[in-house]
Amino acid sequence: MSYRMMQVLAASLLLALSTALMAAPEVGQPAPDFTLTDTQGNEHSLSDFRGQTVILEWTNHDCPFVIKHYQPGNMQDQQRLARNEHDAVWLSIISSRPGTQGHVSPEEADELTASRDAYPTAVLIDESGDVGRAYDARVTPHMYIIDAEGILRYMGGIDSNPSRNPEDIPDATQYVVVALEQMAAGEEIAEAVTRPYGCSVHY
Amino acid sequence: MMRSLFAALILLPLMAWAAPEYGTVERDHIRAELVAETAAIEPGQSFRAGLRLEPDENWHTYWINPGDSGLPTQLDWDLPDGVVAGEIEWAWPEALQMGHLVNYGYKDEHLLPVQIDTPDTLEPGDTLTLVVDAAWLVCEEICIPGDAKLALDIDVVAGNGPRASEHADLFADTLGRVPERVEWTTRFNTDGGSLSVQVVPENVGLDRDWSFFAINENLVEHAEAPSVLAEDGQVLISQPLSAYFSRAPEQLDFVLVDHDGARAWRLSAEPGELLSAGMLAEGSTPGWALALILALAGGVLLNLMPCVFPVLSIKAMSLVSGAGHDQRAHGLAYTAGVLVSFAVLAGVLLALRAGGEAVGWGFQLQSAWFVALLVYILFALGLSLSGLFDFGTRLMGIGQGLTEKGGSKGSFFTGVLACVVASPCTAPFMGAALGAAVFMPWPLAMTVFLALGLGLALPMLVLSFSPALARRLPRPGPWMDTFKQAMAFPLYLAVVWLLWVLARQTDPTGLAMVLSGMVALAFVLWLAGRESRSESLVVARHAAVGLSLIFVVSTLFSADHFGGGEGATVENAHWENYSAETLAEWRDDPERAVLVNMTADWCITCLVNERVALNTPAVRDTMAEHDVVYLKGDWTRRDPDITEYLSKYDRNGVPLYVLYPRNGDDPRVLPQVLTPQLVIQALERS
Repeated sequence: MSYRMMQVLAASLLLALSTALMAAPEVGQPAPDFTLTDTQGNEHSLSDFRGQTVILEWTNHDCPFVIKHYQPGNMQDQQRLARNEHDAVWLSIISSRPGTQGHVSPEEADELTASRDAYPTAVLIDESGDVGRAYDARVTPHMYIIDAEGILRYMGGIDSNPSRNPEDIPDATQYVVVALEQMAAGEEIAEAVTRPYGCSVHY
Repeated sequence: MMRSLFAALILLPLMAWAAPEYGTVERDHIRAELVAETAAIEPGQSFRAGLRLEPDENWHTYWINPGDSGLPTQLDWDLPDGVVAGEIEWAWPEALQMGHLVNYGYKDEHLLPVQIDTPDTLEPGDTLTLVVDAAWLVCEEICIPGDAKLALDIDVVAGNGPRASEHADLFADTLGRVPERVEWTTRFNTDGGSLSVQVVPENVGLDRDWSFFAINENLVEHAEAPSVLAEDGQVLISQPLSAYFSRAPEQLDFVLVDHDGARAWRLSAEPGELLSAGMLAEGSTPGWALALILALAGGVLLNLMPCVFPVLSIKAMSLVSGAGHDQRAHGLAYTAGVLVSFAVLAGVLLALRAGGEAVGWGFQLQSAWFVALLVYILFALGLSLSGLFDFGTRLMGIGQGLTEKGGSKGSFFTGVLACVVASPCTAPFMGAALGAAVFMPWPLAMTVFLALGLGLALPMLVLSFSPALARRLPRPGPWMDTFKQAMAFPLYLAVVWLLWVLARQTDPTGLAMVLSGMVALAFVLWLAGRESRSESLVVARHAAVGLSLIFVVSTLFSADHFGGGEGATVENAHWENYSAETLAEWRDDPERAVLVNMTADWCITCLVNERVALNTPAVRDTMAEHDVVYLKGDWTRRDPDITEYLSKYDRNGVPLYVLYPRNGDDPRVLPQVLTPQLVIQALERS
C-alpha cells in the first residue's frame, strides 16, 4: 500500500471519528433542545412545547427549492394543516450566516411571512448556525418532526421529488403530511428518514 | 431578486412554447449551447451531440448524483421521427466541498454528451434539427436554476464519412473521461455503518491513484471521503453510510477512477458477503467452469486423504477379486451413493444459506454429535481393518461387501460412507473453494458440489469400467491382510484429529463421555465378532452388545449436552475470551482501548482475516504498543451472549470487529475484510 493511501486512510478514519461527535440526531432518540429568539423578540425553547408535536423547517427564502414549495402554496398548506388539524407547533428556522443568501432581519422575516401568506408558529433566527449544526440541517428545506415527548420522529426532505419544478408537487409523497397522519393514527412512521434535497444551508 | 425568480417560475411553462435558440445562450452565471461532434452526417449514422455548459468562475453544475445538495442537469429532447437520443454519458465529476457538505459536479467548461441515432430514411441534402430543453442548477454559495430551449442544425450528406465540428476536441476530451462500463467481479455490503465495496480490476495495475463515486443517492456520507485501498489483486472501498440512509439498495452503481491513467470504469455491484483478501488472492473466485474443474480435481485428491484412502483401497482390492460382469454395476452404484450424499449435504447447506444462516461448508462439523458420530465410524472402520472383527460380514453389510453377497446396495452405501468419511477432510482442504461456490446461484453451486463428489467417485468408477486397469493392481494374496492392518493407522490418526476438533466444541466431561463411548464401541465390536461356545453365553452376549450400544448412542448426545464450555485456551494467545463483563470492565479503564473480534472456526472469512491481519506480528506489536485489549468471542457453537452482541450491531453472523476507543467515545465497526494496515491505522487512532 502506498504512502498516499495510508494518508487517505488515516485522514478518513480521523474524519469518521470526529464527525461521529457531531452526527445527525437519531430518529427515536430525544431531539436536541435549543433556545432561539423569534422575529418578535420572544425566546422559544424546544422544551416549552412538551405535550405538542413540533415541526422544524429550515428555510432560506431565496433558495429555488424553498420557492418551489412556497410559490404554489404547498408549504403554507402544510403549515395550516399541521397547526389547525394536528395542534402542532411549526417553527421556521433560518441558519444563514449574516451576509449570505437567506439571512434576513426580523422585520424582513415578518414581511416575508405576510407577503407569502405563511403560517408558522414562529420564525426563529439562528445566525450562529449552532441549532442548525445540532440538528445537522444540511439543506433548505430540511424538515424534522418532534413528538409530544420530545422524541425525534421524522427527519429529511419535504417531499419525494427532488426537483425544482413545482408542477411535480402533486405527484410527490409529502413526507411531513404523511408522517403527521401516521402519528395521529398511532401508526409507525413508514418513512421516518428520507433524503433531504435543496440548497446547502449557508453556515 | 426574489421577484425575478418568481417571475421565472411563472414564465417557465410559457418558455416551453418559445422558439428554440441557436448558438450560445447567456443565462445567470452560465452560458449554454447545444453542440455536436460532427458538422454533417450520413443517413443512418449515429453521432454524439451534447449540452456544452460554461459556468462563471467558481460556479458549478451537478453530476448524476449531486451529493448533499443540488440537482443533476436534465435534458428533454424534441427530435424528428425516427431520431433517438440516448442517456447523458456523464464524465466523472469533481468532489466540491461546500462548508461541511460535499457535492459532485463540474466547474469550468464542460459537456454532457448524448448519442443520437438517425434513421436510414434521411435524405442527403436534408437538414437535421435537434432541439433540447435543458434545465440545470448552477451554484456557487447560492444556487440559481436555469433553463434554455436550444437548437442545432446538422447537414445530411452522402458519403465521405463524418466531418469533425469545431467542438470535436471537447467531445474527445469529455468522452475520454466517461467511465467505461465493465463487468468485473464486485460486491458490496452496508453492514456496520459503512458502505464496503470490493472490486477485482482486470488488466489494470493496482498501484494507482484511485477514487470512488457512488451513483446511488442517499447512500453514503459524501462529506466523508471514501477510503480506497488496493491490495492483493483487489480494490477495497469503504465510505460511511449517510445519516439519511434507510435501506440497502438492490444494486450499487458506482464509478471507479484511476487518476494516474486518466481512465474510469462504471460498475454495478450486487449485495453480498465480502470475500477475504487472502481468498481472492488464492484465486478462489474462479468462474463457474474453473470452479468445476478445481472441484473435480479436488475430489480425486480426496481419495488420498487419510480418512478416505484406507476405506477405498480395501474396496478397490475387493473389486479386483470380484466377479467381472457386475463390476460396472457396483461402480455405478458406488458413484450414485457418493453423488446422492453430496447433493443432500449441499442442498442442506444452500437451503440454510438461503434462509440467511451464517454457515459455510463444514457446517456439519459444527455439531459436536456429528463429529462424535464420525469419530465412532472411523474408529469402527479402523478396528475392522485391524482385524478385531469383520465389518463386511457381521455388521451393516457395508464396506467391502462386494466379495460377499452385498450386491450393488452395498456399493451404494460404500459411496455414502466415502462421502461421510471424506467430509472432515473436505472442510479444511476444500473450504475456500467451496466457500466461493456458496456465493454462486444455487444451480451452479450444486454442480460444483456434484463435481467434487464425481471426483471422489472417479477412481473407483474408472477401475470398475476398465478391467485392464484393474488387472494392473496387485493380485490379492496374503499380503492384503498386512496391508489392511497397516491402513488402520491413518484412520486412527483421523480419529485423533476429530477428537481435537471435538475438544474445542465440548468440555472435558463431554470428551470423556465420547472416549468411553469409543471403549464401549470397541467392546461391542469385539463381542459381536466372537464365536459363541454355549447357548447361555449367546444371550448374555446379545444383552451386553445391546446395553453397550445404548451407551455408545447416549454418549453421542452427551457430547453435545456437555458442550458450551470455556472454549479453547491457546498457549501464547494475545487475546482474552469475550464476555459482556470483561468488556464492561475494560471499557471502564480510560488507559485501554478494546478490540472485539467475533469469530467462528467454520467462518472462513474470519480465519483468513485472523491469518492475514489480526495475528500478524505487525498487528500484535501495535496492540502491545498501544495497550489495546483484544477480546475474542467464539461463535463456533451458538452462544446467546454473542448472538445478542451481534444483534446490537445489526448482525446475524460473524465476522464482526468492533474497536472501542480509550476515551470512551462511540465504538467503531471495522470492515469485514481486514488488512494489516487497516487494523494498525485503526488501532493507532484508538
